[in-house]
Amino acid sequence: ERLVREHPVVVFMKGSPAQPLCGFSNAVVQILRLHGVEDYRAHDVLQDPDLRQGIKNYSNWPTIPQVYLNGEFVGGCDILLQMHQNGDLVEELKKLGIRSALLDAEKDQEKK
Amino acid sequence: MRGPLLAAAGVAMGGAGGPLARTIRAKLTAALQPTHLEVRDDSPRHGGPPGAETHFGVLVVSGLFAGLPLLQRHRLVHEALRAELAGPLHALQVVARTPEQWQSDPKTPPAPPCLGGSKR
Repeated sequence: ERLVREHPVVVFMKGSPAQPLCGFSNAVVQILRLHGVEDYRAHDVLQDPDLRQGIKNYSNWPTIPQVYLNGEFVGGCDILLQMHQNGDLVEELKKLGIRSALLDAEKDQEKK
Repeated sequence: MRGPLLAAAGVAMGGAGGPLARTIRAKLTAALQPTHLEVRDDSPRHGGPPGAETHFGVLVVSGLFAGLPLLQRHRLVHEALRAELAGPLHALQVVARTPEQWQSDPKTPPAPPCLGGSKR
């Protein structure tokens, strides 16, 4: 519980953002990177079997990766991808006071 | 190394999907009354032999999803497959759409490539 509140963006994954060890975990890292979110807490569940089971119990969600925004469970890789595609992720980041890099990208396009 | 026996077993189960695929299909059909359902065994893409049935992707199109946020839809799918997820099912990709959403967008995102997982 303490871990999910540590930071506005917390990810439980396999491997690390620098070296994801699972395609689904990597997808989460890549999506966050697209939005310019590089400052977040990432926990490698492969390093800690208790954490791996504990986080599944906590969220009542059976798989890794798991994404928490402002302490609240948002979903796994599928959900994050859909939020990214339909614009919801930009909105959720805005609520956390995080400005998505994609907004700036759009602005640049409009100027052109 | 995958022996010829395993490969043969994989081929034998290839048609309608293996036993786990059939179970997944049956449970999702009963729980969510989908208008469209696809069950895909992704295990070979994650290093398993054909027919390993450890990693699956499912596409569920159901009117029951109407009005529900993504998280709730996925939880419904997980609920239907609770026993499998506690057991042999190691990973599950879920695309959950209402019939209207499916009609306007009948494409599903590709599965991310495997990066080794805990075998590394």
